[in-house]
Amino acid sequence: MPTALTYVANTSAENSGLFESLGIDWKLLVLQSIAFLLLLWLLSKFVYPVLNKMIDTREAELEAGQKAAKEAQDEAARAEEKIKSLMRDAQKEASDIVMTAKTEATNMIAASEEKAKSSAERIVAEAQESIAKDVLAAKKALHNETIDLVALATEKVVGKTINAKVDKTLIKEALN
Amino acid sequence: MNQSLTQFAAASPHINIKADVLFHLGTIPVTNSMLLGLIGYALVIWALFSTARAAKTGRGNVVTKLVMMIYEMLLGTVEQVLGDKTLARRIAPLSISLFFIIIVNYWLGILPFVGPVTVGGVPLFRGLVADMNVTFAMAIISMVVVQIYAIKTHGFFGNLGRYFRNPITDPAGAFEGILELIAEISRLLALSLRLFGNVFAGEVLIIMVGFMTQYLAGIALLPFMIFELFIGSIQAYVFFMLTTVFIGLGMVSHGEHSDDTHADKQVVSTA
Repeated sequence: MPTALTYVANTSAENSGLFESLGIDWKLLVLQSIAFLLLLWLLSKFVYPVLNKMIDTREAELEAGQKAAKEAQDEAARAEEKIKSLMRDAQKEASDIVMTAKTEATNMIAASEEKAKSSAERIVAEAQESIAKDVLAAKKALHNETIDLVALATEKVVGKTINAKVDKTLIKEALN
Repeated sequence: MNQSLTQFAAASPHINIKADVLFHLGTIPVTNSMLLGLIGYALVIWALFSTARAAKTGRGNVVTKLVMMIYEMLLGTVEQVLGDKTLARRIAPLSISLFFIIIVNYWLGILPFVGPVTVGGVPLFRGLVADMNVTFAMAIISMVVVQIYAIKTHGFFGNLGRYFRNPITDPAGAFEGILELIAEISRLLALSLRLFGNVFAGEVLIIMVGFMTQYLAGIALLPFMIFELFIGSIQAYVFFMLTTVFIGLGMVSHGEHSDDTHADKQVVSTA
């Protein structure tokens, strides 16, 4: 190690100039500059444009992809909104239909009830009329039978029959 | 790796602040950092070209996917810092290239064969970013680009007006301008010296730990190497971030400047 340090120290001492002690040689400096510029030209001409083009293409593809994804997303949102709207319409329509059906059913039930009621009333009226007729007929039959029975009873009580015509007249008078 | 580390530990430490010259190509010296730098540059080119091919074909492996992920992250950061996508696309190549060059070469410099493999007592390899010429060159390029974009935004004289103002009509502004000029120079030095300092310190740390632990170096060096991998990524990101921030700061108008300077200081202090 001392050898190395001594060597460095000696080198610095020998080369009085700062540039020379650092090993800067204008010929090498120019040569290295030319070499680097040549490499820079070579890469700028044949490499970087290709890489930039690939990056641009990929960025464009990414942007297009993102745009397409956004459009698809918007389209999906629009479709969803449309579906929601259709669903709302369908629900409203279904609700209307149900409402109409209910109203119609109610009307039908009311009409049926009304019809049944009138029918029942008619039947009842007819039945009442029939009953009234029957009662009247029965009353008449009973009346006649009563007359006959009374006549018969009277005949048996009186013991003789005046005649039928007289009987009847008498009974009628008695009954009335 | 263990044998290599042991050999590395057994050797006497070779610490040199400068990159060693291996040979000369005409008048140009070829250093050991340039040798490893060639491998680093080749790796960066291979990784990025493979990623570009993978991006074209749509078939990639783990490396290309990782590089792509890092590239996207860095590009996003540049866009966030500058706040303008078009401008970010123009600036990003410089910042991102700096990031990849620094991180790859920093990590290459940690490899066990960097240092112990010597030719005539001189290490054959040295991390590219452990060469002050490289970090200084990168910082100069960054600051030149900062000035170019500042001139584009403010105009030539408008940009000069950021540094030079009439001391009679605006004494405070003139003083602030001088401070701004000093700040630009300090940014240049800070960019290059911070990176170089970290790489060099890391290399010295690894060399000394290896030297001190000798035959236990295989075990002792591992946590330090992992730590250096982490430091390397941090330093690459700091250089990338500061370059981007400095370019952004150069383009803001004078009124907005004070707030952003605070942000700049925060980034520097984080680094």
